[in-house]
This record gives sequence, structure tokens and C-alpha cells, in this order.
Amino acid sequence: MGTKKFISVFLFLSFMILPLYVSAAKGVSAEGNKLCFACHADKNLNKKLMNKEILSLYVNGSEFASSVHGKTSCTGCHPDISMDNHPRSRKIKSRQDFALSVSRNCSNCHTAAQLEKRQPIHKFLAAKGPCIECHGSHYIKVMALQKAGVKENIYCLTCHRNRISMSMKNGEALSVFVDESAVANSAHAKLQCIQCHTEFSKTQHPMRSFSSRRAYSLTVAELCWKCHKEAANLYESSIHLDQLKNGNTKAPACTDCHGDHAVASTKKDKNIGIVSCNKCHSDMAASYEASMHGKARMKGDEKAPTCASCHNAHNVESAKMSTKIKEGCLKCHKDTAKVHSKWLYNPPVKLSSFAKAHFDVVSCSACHSPRAERAVYLSLYDRRTGKPVSEEEVLKLLGTPASEGLMARIDTNADGSIDPKEMWGLFADLLRKGVIATFTGNMDVQKATEAHMIGGKAEGVKDCDKCHKPNAELLQNVFVVVKKADGKPMVLPAKKEVLNSVYTILPMSKFYALGSSSMKLLDILFIVALLGGIAVPIGHIAFRVITSPLRALRRMGKGGKK
Amino acid sequence: MTRIYLHPLAIRIWHWVNASAFILLILTGAQIKFGNAIHFFSFQTAVTVHSLLGWLLLFNYFIWVVYYLVTGNIKIYIPPLNHPIEFGKKALTQAKFYGWGIMVGDENPHHSTFDNKFNPMQQVSYLMIMVALIPLQLITGFFLWDPHLFGPAINIIGGIQIADLIHILLWIFFSAFIIVHFYLATLGHTPMAHIIAMFTGYEDEHDDHGHGHGEKHSHDEGHGHGEKSTGH
Repeated sequence: MGTKKFISVFLFLSFMILPLYVSAAKGVSAEGNKLCFACHADKNLNKKLMNKEILSLYVNGSEFASSVHGKTSCTGCHPDISMDNHPRSRKIKSRQDFALSVSRNCSNCHTAAQLEKRQPIHKFLAAKGPCIECHGSHYIKVMALQKAGVKENIYCLTCHRNRISMSMKNGEALSVFVDESAVANSAHAKLQCIQCHTEFSKTQHPMRSFSSRRAYSLTVAELCWKCHKEAANLYESSIHLDQLKNGNTKAPACTDCHGDHAVASTKKDKNIGIVSCNKCHSDMAASYEASMHGKARMKGDEKAPTCASCHNAHNVESAKMSTKIKEGCLKCHKDTAKVHSKWLYNPPVKLSSFAKAHFDVVSCSACHSPRAERAVYLSLYDRRTGKPVSEEEVLKLLGTPASEGLMARIDTNADGSIDPKEMWGLFADLLRKGVIATFTGNMDVQKATEAHMIGGKAEGVKDCDKCHKPNAELLQNVFVVVKKADGKPMVLPAKKEVLNSVYTILPMSKFYALGSSSMKLLDILFIVALLGGIAVPIGHIAFRVITSPLRALRRMGKGGKK
Repeated sequence: MTRIYLHPLAIRIWHWVNASAFILLILTGAQIKFGNAIHFFSFQTAVTVHSLLGWLLLFNYFIWVVYYLVTGNIKIYIPPLNHPIEFGKKALTQAKFYGWGIMVGDENPHHSTFDNKFNPMQQVSYLMIMVALIPLQLITGFFLWDPHLFGPAINIIGGIQIADLIHILLWIFFSAFIIVHFYLATLGHTPMAHIIAMFTGYEDEHDDHGHGHGEKHSHDEGHGHGEKSTGH
């Protein structure tokens, strides 16, 4: 080959082939793309995947050309495809699998470091999720263009409509997938994502990390409180929040009952007050279903009470500590006091307040669960604040080590039961520490399941003697109840004598059952006073009889004078 | 023999209503309290009777209040606070009479008149009973009658147990008191003299009971009240 010929070949290669090579390296190959579009412009071109999904292979050429990758060759992103090996029978498991394998090629140009620098959230996503799920594939726009004109919700869903998840510090994966249709049918359908997730927007997506999925859901609960202030205030006083605060992460927060994005309107979801409770309290389900309330519900009576009707939805209290459960009953049985006052009244007038005096201390189920065992529960409260004094507070006030426990502190004779002197001992010790304690009384059934077994009207207790006579049948079992810091009640056995002792006048000055809770000491005093009253005339008469001769003598003396 | 008008009709009615109600209230109270030991009435009957009588007692108490305030004769209950020493001496003399003088045939140092019905011991005890103990018994009784209605007031006194404690202590006192009261009522110049007087209004007094203070007055029908020998 002569020099002239070599130069000609070199120039040909330089001007004709090298640009092709370079442009191919950059992915620019209009010819190559044309070749691909020869087939992939066909809207009907698709592939059946191994999982029977149909994957469309259609690419809109003009839309692709106007995308950010419009000048990139097909093989730039699909380097495994060439004229030599395509088309071929390639086995693809699923669309997801295909998306993942294709997305790996994105990192050929868009390195992880580069992505993380531009948007740190990629750190968690790039390695797991297919890029194309958020950014799309053939029609990707520059981000600024992609955001412009897109509604906030749609923008969020760009990524969150996909099965993406985030990692917790403990290794758990939390799905951050949002089911669009669930949101659309939820009570929050008209809300924008950022109305709840206020830290986020089109321009901001802060990096957050949580120790666990539970820690995340508890943080999310606070988002609800921003709007649902009333519910939040009620929840503040609930046993559930007490438990959460004290480390019981199983205790429910908002989303545990209401769900998250599929949050249901309680007006529509009439069963939320049962279903959500049963997640944890499934042991109560059978007794509820056997009750007349449960039966009515199962027959389709939507007005029949759910768990939340009596226990409240947000300010759920320990049934042992609360006298408010009956408020749930009275929501439906509005004329209860009036109905009861037909027979439960104190003459001469039939006042509903007399029935209410009973409602104040007797739970509905104590009378209306005919087969239940009843007991008197004396709950420890601070008289001044009207709030329960917890076991932990008592131990702290009295300087007793927590390991010792409250029962050991109260039960000084270690017989496993609180007697009147021991109750007084606790009262006096707390008084010395500036706390005026009071044991409020409440008669209730002993087992929670029995509380749900409400019987018919005819089975209710109507006999006054059941409670109102010395040693009354329903006042045989007595317990002292002290709330624990986690809201759960600590039920301590007590002797029934606490209801009749002079030692307990002050500690339980707010509990009283006519005829049965009076002090034995007063009985003795009555007998003594009665005997004293009789002794005065007997003694006086006896003395008068003995001294009658003196009077006779005097009369005689007077008569003599006369 | 002199007839002295002591008890006007309104007070006689008040007294016997009061006495009957008291006895029945004590008995029904005992039934409520000792339900296992005594069986005069059922619990429900005892409570019903007790409550009705409580209201009757309240109504009756107002008769007493209205009568004595309107007539101004409430003064018979008021000890002479401006002469405490003299009053104390008289009370001591009265106590000595009941303790010893009556045994040896001394004359009762106090001679009742319409305007000076009570001896110093009676004056103090009846004043306490009428202005403190009965009102307290009525108030605590009403607290127990409807603890919900009177809930706020019950909280002020410390709780329903406190109301019950006061009510029972007073019940014990009244139970003993009524026995002693009945016995003292027999210590007139005849055992029935005071009791009959409480029915008729008039009490006979022997003329030889020297009324050292010039307080002896024969009864003249038709005199205005307040006179020492009056008829009403």
C-alpha cells in the first residue's frame, strides 16, 4: 500500500468509522435506533413472561426522542442486545425482574455517588428498587420538567406508587408503597400527601432514619394529632398511650386501628370498634359475640355497641380503674336512670338521681351479667388531683425500692391480703408525704369476659339485700386497685373487713353501701349507748327506791310542822 | 293546785309527731344497720319508712322553727349568755337536784312557766338538739337519701362515709337520749304529770311547791300568751 492509499484509508476511517465508534460509545446511533424502532414502534409488540405477565415492547419513537435520553442509543441502556443476538428467545421471570435488570444498566452512567449527591434518598433506593419505577424508562424527562405542572400528590406517587421500601436501623424493611386506590377511597381522599407528611414536598425529601418499623409508626401517629386534636387529647389519657410511654411498643397508636393511607371514616367503617380491638384483645371476642350486643351486631344491627362504644375509642381506660364505662352503655340506653327509677327510688319522690347514685359505684355488668362473680374494687386516687396514684409514684414517695413491690410494702403482715390496718398504714404514709389518698369504690364483675355477657332485663339484680345488708353476698370479694405507670391496673387482694373498719373511714371515705359498709365499732357503740340509756333510769329509780325512807321522813317532818 | 299552761297546740303536735318519727326512725335505722340480726321490717320497707319519716321530720322541724320565730318565743331555748356564772350555778343546782335532791324530797329548783319552760340543763341540751343535732341528722340523712343529688355537698364534708358516720353517731345518741328523755318525763310531781301536760298543754303544780321567785301563777283561761298564768 502506498502512502497516498494509506492516508486515504486513514482519513476514511477517521471521518467515517471513528465517529461511528465514538458515537456508539456515547450511545448515539440514529441508525441503530432506527433499526430497533423498525420493530419496537409496533404497538402490538409484546412478550409473554415466565410468570405469564405480558410485557409491552412498544416504544414511542417521537416521545423517546424528546426525552432526556433522546439522543442515546438503545444499546446504551440495553448493552446486552445486539444485531447478533436479537431477537432471541430470552427468558424473563417477571416485569419486576426485568425492571431490576434493566435498572442496573442505569448505574453505568448514573453512579451511586452521583445520585446520592443529587438526592440522598437514592442511597436507600438505588440498590433495591428499579430506577425505572420512579423515573420511567423511555420517556424520562429532566427532573425540573418532570416536576413542573405535576400535582404534589402525583409527584409523590411517582415513586410511592411502586413497591419501594425503606430500611430501619434494626434491619427491618418498611414498605413506603402507597396504594392509590386505597387513598382515593379513604377518609383522606381529598388531602394532599404533604398535609400529613409536612416535612416533604416536591423540593424536599429529608433523610430520616428510624430504629424500627414500630418507631416509625409511632412517629407517624403524631402527624395525625396535627388535625385530630380532640382525639389526641383523649388519647393522652388512655391506657394505650400510658403503655407506649412505658415501653410497650405493642400498644396501639393511631394507625394500628385506623390504618395509614387507607384510613377509613368511622362513619363508614362501622366495625372499626371491633376489628381493631380484636387484633390484641381477641380473648374478649367470644364473650362479646355471645352477649346480646354481639348477637344483635351479628344480625346486622349497626347500632349495637362495639368495644369502642363502651370502652371509648381514644380515651380507653382500664376497666378496673374506671367508672366511665357505663357512659358507653348510657349512650344507647339514654333513659336508663328513668327506667331504673321506676323501682329504684327513695320515697317520697322518684328521682333518677337515686338510680344514678347506684350507677356511680356499680358497673352495669355487675347487675346485668347474671352469672358473673362480683367484687368491690377500691382504686387508689389522689383526692386533690382526682387522678390515680400509680404504683411507681407510691413507691417513689415512700422511698421503697421498686424491686420490693407495692404489695410487700402495704401487706406488712405478709398474709397476701390487705387488711384495714394496712390500708390505713398506706393512707397515713402517703399523707405524711403530702398526698391525700382516697380509695374510690366500684362494684364490678371479676373477669373481663364476664362483663361482656350481658343478659336480658329480667336477669338483672333487683334484690337490695344482695348488697345492702351486713356481710352482703355481693360484697364478699374486695380488691385494692393501683394503676401502674403503664396504665394497667395492679389488682391486690384485700380483706372484706376493710369495708367495715374504723381504720378505713378516711381512706375510703367516698365508698359506702347502706347497711353493709358501716363500721363494726359503731355497732358496739350503739349497744353501749342503748345499755347506758337504759341504765340511767334503772339506776336512778333504784337509788330513788333506796332513798325513799329519807323522803318519807322529810314528808313526815314537814307534816309535823304543819 | 295550780294549772300552768306550758305547751301550745302547735308545739304539742310538733312534739308528738317528732317523738313518733324519732322512735320509728331509730327502729328502721336499726333494721337497716342490723339487717341480719333483727327482722322488724324488710330492708326495702325499712328504707321506705325511714325515708318518708325523714321528710316528715324535716317538715315538722319547719313547724317548730316557724312557730318559735313567729311568736318570738325561741328565747326559751336561749340560755342567758349575759349571766353565765349565774346560769352555771343554776345548772349545777339542777344537776344536784336530779342526782341527790330528788332522792331526799327536795323541791325541783326550776318551775316551768310558758316563758321559762326549761331548766338550765334542758335549755342547753334542747338548744343543742334543735339547732345543731337535728339539723345535722336531717342534712346527713338527706345526703344518704340521694348521694348523687347531694354529691357536691357530700364531697365538701369529705365523702359519703363521713356523712354516714355523723348520721350513725347521732342515731346512737338519739337512741340513748330518747330513753333518758322518757324517764325524765316521768319525774314530774306525778309520773304522768309532764306526759299529760304534753297532751293537754297544762301542767298541774302543787301550791306547796314554793315558787320562791314569785313565778307561781294560777291558770286563767283566755289570757294572752307569755303571761305566767296563761291560757292559749
